[in-house]
Amino acid sequence: MMNKKTSIAAAIAVALLASVPLFGSDVVVQFGIDALSMATLAQAWNLMGGFTGYPSFGNSVFYGLGAYGTAIAMTKFGMPFGVGLAAGVAAATSCAALVGLPILRLRGPYFAIATLGVNGAMAEIVSNLRIAGADVGLVLPLTRNDASFYELSLALLVFCTGCVAWAATSRFGMGLVAIREDEAAASTMGVNATLYKVAAFVLAAAFTAVAGGIHAYWSTFIDPASAFDSTLNVRMVIMCVFGGPGTVFGPVVGSFILSAIYEVLAAQISTAAALLFGVVIVVAVIFMPKGLADLVQQAPGVGWRYFVRNIRENGI
Amino acid sequence: MSATAHPVPVVQALGLTKRFQGLVSVDGVSFSIAANEILGLIGPNGAGKTTLVNMIGGTIAPSAGELLFEGKPITDAPVHRRAHAGIGRTFQVMKPFPGMTALENVTVGALFGRDGGLKDMGKAREAARGWLEFTGLGRRIDTRADELGGPDRKRLEFAKALALRPKLLLLDEVMAGLNPVEVDEVIELIKAVRGRGVALLVIEHVVKAIRRLSDRVMVLHHGQKIAEGDPASVLSDPRVVEAYLGKKRT
Repeated sequence: MMNKKTSIAAAIAVALLASVPLFGSDVVVQFGIDALSMATLAQAWNLMGGFTGYPSFGNSVFYGLGAYGTAIAMTKFGMPFGVGLAAGVAAATSCAALVGLPILRLRGPYFAIATLGVNGAMAEIVSNLRIAGADVGLVLPLTRNDASFYELSLALLVFCTGCVAWAATSRFGMGLVAIREDEAAASTMGVNATLYKVAAFVLAAAFTAVAGGIHAYWSTFIDPASAFDSTLNVRMVIMCVFGGPGTVFGPVVGSFILSAIYEVLAAQISTAAALLFGVVIVVAVIFMPKGLADLVQQAPGVGWRYFVRNIRENGI
Repeated sequence: MSATAHPVPVVQALGLTKRFQGLVSVDGVSFSIAANEILGLIGPNGAGKTTLVNMIGGTIAPSAGELLFEGKPITDAPVHRRAHAGIGRTFQVMKPFPGMTALENVTVGALFGRDGGLKDMGKAREAARGWLEFTGLGRRIDTRADELGGPDRKRLEFAKALALRPKLLLLDEVMAGLNPVEVDEVIELIKAVRGRGVALLVIEHVVKAIRRLSDRVMVLHHGQKIAEGDPASVLSDPRVVEAYLGKKRT
């Protein structure tokens, strides 16, 4: 998976991305922060949804906990940003472990529904906590340094993707994929399925929480509705699946492309952007259900027949 | 019960029972298998053979009875812990990892498996390659499991179970659907595995194969053990013949 060519290409891509704040306008850098953060979220979702085969709709809980952990530590306890992030990660990972143990017994749509429920419950809990600003929200200390936020978001994405790349070629990742392919068979081969699933969930929670914490500090304001936004989770799913679930670079490339398309649509034809974005997704799912990664691997050999085959396999 | 070569049998079942609501699927079955021994398990459809194997493999919890592995109780151990102890199995309805290649499939067994497996990716791959050669799949290592044909899938299932280096191997109808030549190949494979000191429990409908293969045969009927002993005498036992063919008219 990670041969020499891929590593060099990835290094060049990272260097180019890192230099964006040097010449990019404010608008470009701000778009970059959002796109990088979205790519991290899609990549973290990939660990559960792509590798382990558990489509989580509860990752927005971890995002929210990361945001609130950071905000509460900074505003109520006067802690520095780094400690805030650590608090957010601690809250999200303990939530993932506690909630994961019971709900990771469920499979497929039942797991998805249960995680969705957790998100709703957590938003309600937080909006009734005085320390979290109840349903009014919290205002974080103002810092306007977009370039640092950009580089921080990039560093997080690189670290997250590095972890996924390691997982893809390690014993840990092999166990996750075995669980996805057939959980009963995986246990029979000696994979401790419960431990592996919870570990993947906790790892995904950690990355998601850091992204949430960074976003909270950057946007300087959070409230329950924006922090525990289940449509954010839907975007993670779309971007990961569009790029190629269970691959190392698919989710990153997929979310960059979709973020860019959305940005262009929003700038050109503001009101109909969401509608057109929906059309893009539907077309992508019909013609390339296995994502960009599969398209890049398979299509050069078979050309347009690739799309015909996908449509046939979809049974449309 | 026949004498065993070792003081402690690899596996020992004491009155294993499984009730599904009112229905008794396996009713107080006791047996043991020693290292280097092949125990054939036969019985008509619905006799409880697969349920018995599932209780040993850990996918079904027994309603009563006890299961000992190398003398230690494992009645309530989770499935992966049994694999770590050294219990490998194949499934009657085969369970390959469909999206993985044959090599990756078997590598999982080698990576995890007995005592937690080899842990090292390179070593596990090497071992997996060896098991694929052993089962005759050497030329198809890079084929995806869902693209393999029936007999090759059986070989893959076998290779996966072997890769976890079992001390006890449970084979649930690995010969079903194979032609006579392939059945002969599988019999040779199973004997070769036994030659490595593994204890085997072999469920099979092909009675001829069981006769050639087994050191001992056990017969289940309506969940109860109705006969056990050397293949020739068990297969000519009137109760066994009756279970399979019905009562002789007088």
